Amino acid sequence: MTALLSLTDVSMHFSREADSRYAVFGGINLTVSAGECVALVGRNGSGKSTLLRVMAKIFAPTSGSVSWAPGVAVSLLTLGLGFRQDLSGRDNAFLSCLLMGLSRKEAKEALSDIEAFCELGQFFDEPVNKYSAGMRARLGFGTALMNRSQVVLIDETLSVGDAFFREKARIALEQEFNEHRAVVLVSHAEQQVERLCDRAILLEQGEITAEGHPGAVLAAYADLTAN
Amino acid sequence: MTFNQTVTLVDTLARFHLKGESRQYFFGYLWWVLEPLLYVGVFYLVFEILLDSRQPDFLYFLMVGKLSFIWFSKSVNQAASSLEANKGLMAQTHLRKELFPLAVIHQGFYRQLVVFIFLICFLLMGGYLPSAAWLWLIPITLLQAMLITACGLLGALLVSFKRDFRLLIQLGMVFLLFMSGIFWDLNVIADTRLREGLLVLNPLANLIDCYRQVLMLGEAPNGMRLAWVLGESLLLLIIVWAAYSRLQFWIARQVVTR
Repeated sequence: MTALLSLTDVSMHFSREADSRYAVFGGINLTVSAGECVALVGRNGSGKSTLLRVMAKIFAPTSGSVSWAPGVAVSLLTLGLGFRQDLSGRDNAFLSCLLMGLSRKEAKEALSDIEAFCELGQFFDEPVNKYSAGMRARLGFGTALMNRSQVVLIDETLSVGDAFFREKARIALEQEFNEHRAVVLVSHAEQQVERLCDRAILLEQGEITAEGHPGAVLAAYADLTAN
Repeated sequence: MTFNQTVTLVDTLARFHLKGESRQYFFGYLWWVLEPLLYVGVFYLVFEILLDSRQPDFLYFLMVGKLSFIWFSKSVNQAASSLEANKGLMAQTHLRKELFPLAVIHQGFYRQLVVFIFLICFLLMGGYLPSAAWLWLIPITLLQAMLITACGLLGALLVSFKRDFRLLIQLGMVFLLFMSGIFWDLNVIADTRLREGLLVLNPLANLIDCYRQVLMLGEAPNGMRLAWVLGESLLLLIIVWAAYSRLQFWIARQVVTR
């Protein structure tokens, strides 16, 4: 399998006050290969979201190195990226596509797919501030699916909308997985991790404490939370 | 992201912001002209009516200066806050950080084009006849856009370092308001060296004087003066651009984890 993304001895520190620093994580070694779906599990505050941001080139690590395979685009799948409440669903979807790196032509072409997927009817041309939470989530998910990056990083965004839409979203997302792409998923939903992922990693107190088959890692996580 | 994609994104961010903003107000896009007009009205009331300014055609003199100044002050102030305002987006996706101040500056440019059309109509109604010298308006406007871009990018960078700079920039705008010859003519400074020194140190005052020369006197501006503004803006732009290129991750960390 081709390695798309590698982290070598990566650590991250944030400043709390002018002269006080705290470690979010340290000594992280991780490789993500094409066709893989890797789950990141761990308690709140364990550094999962920050680790995703390092992988997504949003933050540079304090030390260690991150390498991406040449020409590989990595992005954080975000619901409602750049959405403005006073713009219509169509305008927001277009803007979000541009923010994900699509060209103007590609973004325009994607609009009909997004409109069909979200099933918002005439609301697609109404300002988002008139939407219910479910409608906003549908628009966000439908738009996020247009992400064409080879490495997709997902932070707890799969459980959106009602049961019908959740199932539709799950199927749509699974269709996006293929042997050329890789997914890193942060999730607390055990069933989702076991069904979708080939490998799981447990992050605890800024370190990788377990890695391997999702069932085994989830069991280690369950032990941790039980204690 | 390619150059074309970047330009498209900056333009779309600017146009969509203006569209969204106009929907929030009853008068919508009309505020682009109403807001600067109200500013001019207040200054006219104070300086022409209450203090009885001796400046001929004071209303037009004031409008040319004040409308150009508002473009500068508003764009730079908003650009300075733009990185903070987009910290959510910055935490979600990897984008060049200068996109955010540039989008804000671009919004201001769109707005100012409408304001300039309004200003020209007003001057024509006031009996100022268009001449070939009015074509100088194009390079002067582009120079001001360049100066705003350089100062706006610098402002955003400083505010991402420490929020206190936002207050300093606001105070700086008040200082500039008095030092740029908005409601007084720089040419009344008798000491030539002092006047020229002020124009070199304050490119905005230089540009405002050039606008008046072109629009009110129908004369071509002094080429050396414009060259000074070009040189100053370009130098600042190169320095700030280099700083952004080096500090992309630093800016994200500063703003997102603040």
